[in-house]
Amino acid sequence: MTPEEIKIMADPVSAVSCKFTVDRPVSPDRSYYFAHREQAEGSPLATRLFDIDGVGAVLVTHDRVTVTKGDASDWRVIGKEIGAAIRAHIMSGEPAISDDLWQGLPPEDELRERVQEVIEREINPQVAAHGGFISLLDVKENVVYIQMGGGCQGCGMADVTLKQGIEKAIRHAVPQIGEILDATDHASGRNPYYSPSKK
Amino acid sequence: MPRVVLLVPTTTYRATDFLRAAHAMQVDVTVASEEPSTLESLAPDALLTIQFADPAAAVRQVVEFSRRHPVDAVVGVDDQVSVVAAEVSRALSLPHNPPQAVAAARNKLLMREALARSNVLSPAHRAARFGDDIDALAGEVRFPCVVKPVDLAGSRGVIRADSPEELVMVIERVGTIVAAATGRAADDQSLVVEDYIDGPEYALEGILTAGELRVLAIFDKPDPLVGPYFEETIYVTPSRLDTEARTAIASATEDAARALGLREGPVHAELRIDGRGAWLIEINPRSIGGLCSRVLRFGTGISLEQLIIAHALGMSIDELEREERPAGVMMIPAPATGTLLEVVGVDEARSIPGIDEVAITARPGQKLVTLPEESNYAGFIFARGDTPREVELALREAFALIRFNVDWR
Repeated sequence: MTPEEIKIMADPVSAVSCKFTVDRPVSPDRSYYFAHREQAEGSPLATRLFDIDGVGAVLVTHDRVTVTKGDASDWRVIGKEIGAAIRAHIMSGEPAISDDLWQGLPPEDELRERVQEVIEREINPQVAAHGGFISLLDVKENVVYIQMGGGCQGCGMADVTLKQGIEKAIRHAVPQIGEILDATDHASGRNPYYSPSKK
Repeated sequence: MPRVVLLVPTTTYRATDFLRAAHAMQVDVTVASEEPSTLESLAPDALLTIQFADPAAAVRQVVEFSRRHPVDAVVGVDDQVSVVAAEVSRALSLPHNPPQAVAAARNKLLMREALARSNVLSPAHRAARFGDDIDALAGEVRFPCVVKPVDLAGSRGVIRADSPEELVMVIERVGTIVAAATGRAADDQSLVVEDYIDGPEYALEGILTAGELRVLAIFDKPDPLVGPYFEETIYVTPSRLDTEARTAIASATEDAARALGLREGPVHAELRIDGRGAWLIEINPRSIGGLCSRVLRFGTGISLEQLIIAHALGMSIDELEREERPAGVMMIPAPATGTLLEVVGVDEARSIPGIDEVAITARPGQKLVTLPEESNYAGFIFARGDTPREVELALREAFALIRFNVDWR
């Protein structure tokens, strides 16, 4: 295999983020979000990427690497460097996410217990003011599945509650958590606290 | 990371799309609403309560917040908060529309007056109050005409009248709607009676930078909007108009923005075309309403909301073009006044080739009220296809399969 054989497609997902999809797995079965350079220690791919001026954050998932710029660098410039770093990493055969980092994740049971505690002690007493409640459905690896009920189910501000409140509280208390996914059937909400009503 | 403050009214349809856009861009996000979030104490940098109804107080609250958490952009997600967004941006020395320009665009009388002073084709209008002598007014206007409350949105209270007798009845009905919407008697509140422009309607989605318009999309609105009520339904882009007509729409929109003094951020305009040219029916300093923005994708999948946030943060969006594939959305108006019991046929509608998404926003048990008394949508259908016509047909076919069972007793 030569670096030239590794095909990478770059898709800007926003003005500051670009997704690099590789034609082979970069990190099979593991995903991790590196919010800053210090987290990348021991993880060779993320270290290579943070060595590039302008890289602010890195998300590695299976065959994708999403890079967020930390400054106004031009994608046309750093995109090539990112591609070269990904190719060099794949050629090296090293794991994208350090074993220490991955093995440092608490067991699912412990994560589940800690997330449940945040929900019960911090979140549910607050959302009860709007007739709502949050249920923890499951934790798989470091991915959290929740469900919103009562006034939160179908509420026009449910995403605000989730992204700006629930996620912040859980991540603050349990920083090892990866994605937090809402499994609620919002369309069936019978008593949403807020309903969209204007254009 | 830069921080954007999203001004999100609790009754908006736009919360989810703007919030997802901001998170996808991995910028720091603060959501400011007029009602306290239950979780504000857990995330004081992410949630903020401000008084939308009192712009001066809102400015003080955001300026105070920005001392602890510097703010790089302020984005109002819909027209309920466009004036507050302009005031707050001005106070923070961020690019902004003059607040008086935004206020004029939100008020149908002020907008008509500003356009009448410009070279923009705009329907001739008369201003009145609901308590005025309507018989005298009827003698002054041309028929058919359209009666509009000055500050309701989404075609609420907008009714066509074809004769003096109809005008009297229409103004009485619109007055009742205005009184219900504002919670006070309509007599001293204003209305506009304007010429009905007989021609097909189009919409333009754009973004202003220092007063220069960048056209993001022009939509055909293939359902005839002839009244008496003006229920919006299908939008399809790209427009099937020729280049000359599309240029006329863009020029009229840019001229109208200039006439009002709008300079920065998203604009959504509605225009009609007849043998005399492109008539500016309405221009607003906001993006397209409801969930309709989901019909637009730029570059390799960037949303309209991402584009608006990027623009507000001062990032270049020049290279982002709308995808080439034709796309369309159908707003499903409230089907009847009553309590929604169930919605059937949604899965069948989703199975129609070309249909991307069917989003039902009305919920069982919800009270629905039809236009012109209210302006609610029961849902939205999205489609893509090889041609605009194919998109339009897919939307119609999907809509025909959806049935809303409403208890209207």
